[in-house]
Amino acid sequence: MKPAPTADLTSQALDRFREVNGLFPETSHILEHKRQGKKVLGWLCTYVPEEIMHAAGVLPIRITGYSHEIKPDEGNAYLYVNNCSFSRSCLQLGLRGGYDFLDGIAGGSTCDCARRLMDLWHHYIATSFYHMITVPQKYSSKAHELYYEQITQFTQHLSEFTGIEITDASLSHSIQIYNESRELLRKLYDLRKANNPPITGSEIIEISNAGFRMPKETFNEYLKNLLTNIDTSRHAYSNSRARLMLTGSILGNHEFVESIEQLGGLVVTDDLCTSTRHWYDMIEVNQDESPLRAISRRYLNNFPCARMIPHDERLKRIRDLAQGFRVDGAISQIVHNCTPYTHELSFVTKMLEAQGIPVLSLDVEYGTASSGQIQTRVQAFLEMLEGKRR
Amino acid sequence: MINLQNTSETINHLLRTFRLLQKVGRKHPEVRKHEILFYQLLEKYFTRILNAREEGNFIATHTTFMPGEILYAMDIVPMQTEWTSWILALFTKRGTDFISEGRRLGLTNEVCSAQRGIAGAFSLGTLPRPDAVIWSNLICNNIAKNGELIMEINRCPGFFLDHPLGDSAAERNYLRGEIEDMIHFLEEQTGRKMDWDHLSDSVAGTMKQIEISRQICELRKAVPSPFHPQEFMEMLTVTYLFQGQPEATEYLEMLYEDLSLSVSEGRGAVSPERFRVMSIFLSPIYRAPFLEKFSQEHGMVSVAEPIFTQWEEGKLDPTRPLDSLVQKLYMLPERSLYSPVGERTLKKIVDCAKEYKADGAIAYADVACQHTCALIKLFKDVLNDIDVPLLILDCDLVDQTVTSEEDMREKLEQFLELLEDR
Repeated sequence: MKPAPTADLTSQALDRFREVNGLFPETSHILEHKRQGKKVLGWLCTYVPEEIMHAAGVLPIRITGYSHEIKPDEGNAYLYVNNCSFSRSCLQLGLRGGYDFLDGIAGGSTCDCARRLMDLWHHYIATSFYHMITVPQKYSSKAHELYYEQITQFTQHLSEFTGIEITDASLSHSIQIYNESRELLRKLYDLRKANNPPITGSEIIEISNAGFRMPKETFNEYLKNLLTNIDTSRHAYSNSRARLMLTGSILGNHEFVESIEQLGGLVVTDDLCTSTRHWYDMIEVNQDESPLRAISRRYLNNFPCARMIPHDERLKRIRDLAQGFRVDGAISQIVHNCTPYTHELSFVTKMLEAQGIPVLSLDVEYGTASSGQIQTRVQAFLEMLEGKRR
Repeated sequence: MINLQNTSETINHLLRTFRLLQKVGRKHPEVRKHEILFYQLLEKYFTRILNAREEGNFIATHTTFMPGEILYAMDIVPMQTEWTSWILALFTKRGTDFISEGRRLGLTNEVCSAQRGIAGAFSLGTLPRPDAVIWSNLICNNIAKNGELIMEINRCPGFFLDHPLGDSAAERNYLRGEIEDMIHFLEEQTGRKMDWDHLSDSVAGTMKQIEISRQICELRKAVPSPFHPQEFMEMLTVTYLFQGQPEATEYLEMLYEDLSLSVSEGRGAVSPERFRVMSIFLSPIYRAPFLEKFSQEHGMVSVAEPIFTQWEEGKLDPTRPLDSLVQKLYMLPERSLYSPVGERTLKKIVDCAKEYKADGAIAYADVACQHTCALIKLFKDVLNDIDVPLLILDCDLVDQTVTSEEDMREKLEQFLELLEDR
């Protein structure tokens, strides 16, 4: 008989994700994939469809740079200090050989820093495959046509590179695997709607990070194992003071979230591209439609990045998440020099405050675990939220 | 700071200044004809904005690299956000006010000061309220992301023109569709129809201006080089504000004539010419008089600005105005900052340095401009390969508090010493 879920089993299930993060990039999955002579590609930004790489027999790995805050010596020298610390972190890790296991890189024209990171990567870090996707900045039918054409080019380029024909059948298979992952993540994230969620926001980031670094099939197995073994009576937060949403730029270090949670902030939802925004929309293939067409539609329409214009859709989705997860407050963490999110902050703040949800705005460096200053501000924010509830 | 209460008072102050500068210029024979014309054109541009409401005209505010030919062809009064705001700030000394107001609106220091100031200028009511905002992502996030805020401040509709990154047929087709959609938007907003004949004329005007600009670049290869630092900003201003219009053609023709005369007489912009430098990116607009003075004192002349004055190869066909506007947007010198920066752009930098016999290059590193600063290392490396030293001068395009004149002087002098020692 299967043992009933316990806190122990939950921890064991979580440890499997942690192991991937701890060993990366020397994980058995990557090593085995390479040993079989298959390609590993890095992808930058959620507008690069992973399913296409998967269908080409490639192991897609997300480029996330260092998982902690660094002194970006080379990053500064090559990209300059006014580029976001995420792009500098990625470039520095690349320049120092941290991505030497990659056979290539694919990115999108999503923001200035990403574009320049790709330019410099192409020039200074030699990889045999390089592809840049033009990602339209709006949602019109013409924009969808262009994006479809772009990922068609990407598909052809990948086929030529890998020597593997990417067929409708292989794409459908990849969609199935990735959609399964999305479904499982949705189930997991929905557990956070509970008054006392059994999983922390920090653990969620650890899980997401692992998902970027391993085959999706294995990730799905790990997720199923976690969902089976998670002890729903487990109270992940012992001293919860307020339910929080995290909003803003890319976030890689789970310790940042942990530091908020240690102060009593329950991080129950987010709109981060390394978390909710990455998996949120399913790929739905309509009748008489090619799988590539469905991939194209989903990726351009998915939970938007702050780069997209108009911003109404993003604001609406943030509001829906905040309401759905019953948050008391939101913490905006914007990586220093992340311009699209900086521009949008006043709109997000205004919209959330109109819903009665106060916003704490933090200017952070990518990879930061926290700092005394951040802790002080979060502490004060939690006190304010508690005061508001009384 | 000049205390000006409202839009019309501010613009009237500006107009008086432009008139005065023309008057002074006419009294001094050493002032070249095109300089007087420059202020005359500024007067014309701002007068049109000032009178637009009274005359029942539609004002569209637009970002730098929007095809202004369309607005002129529809008899819409164009108000170019960047240049209008910052010319205004320059002549009224209100730049710091504009930037502070932008900060108050929620635009932190990470947003470039030029865009913060534009939002601030609208918010303070210094610029007239436009009837529509049209903007694009050419050439950066800051320009793209400021549009919705400007719409909100002015409570007016807007159209965002999305530039694709690359140069494929599909991307060109997309851009053409975007331009068509923008025309439809403007037709709806104004209740007017596009005058296609007028647009064709404007496209022909733009082609003419590109040709003259190329000829001017050729003249600048002369030793000594005849082009003054302030002429760079003036030329950009006129071609940005009067895209395809006879005014810009007249200015460029006059500039060309003046430069031709200088070349034929062996007169350089500075005498003696000691240092030929290539300028990368934009020098701070408020330091133009300083740079002119410094150049004269030290015999330094800027011979080329590859990213701003070197048009890509290609022609426009006035009989196909929409395709030509697409083509123009791909030929724009500044587009090399938007497209993936690869071998082609690097070759352009290197070729330019060689063809214009540059002794050195100056990168004006606008501390708030991400996409230009991120290229400095690349440019430095390729220029090193051909033994052309690069000075990186930290500054801000519009915020005077970032670098003092003394700092700039010191760094420039050190650089010229280095060039002299070689």
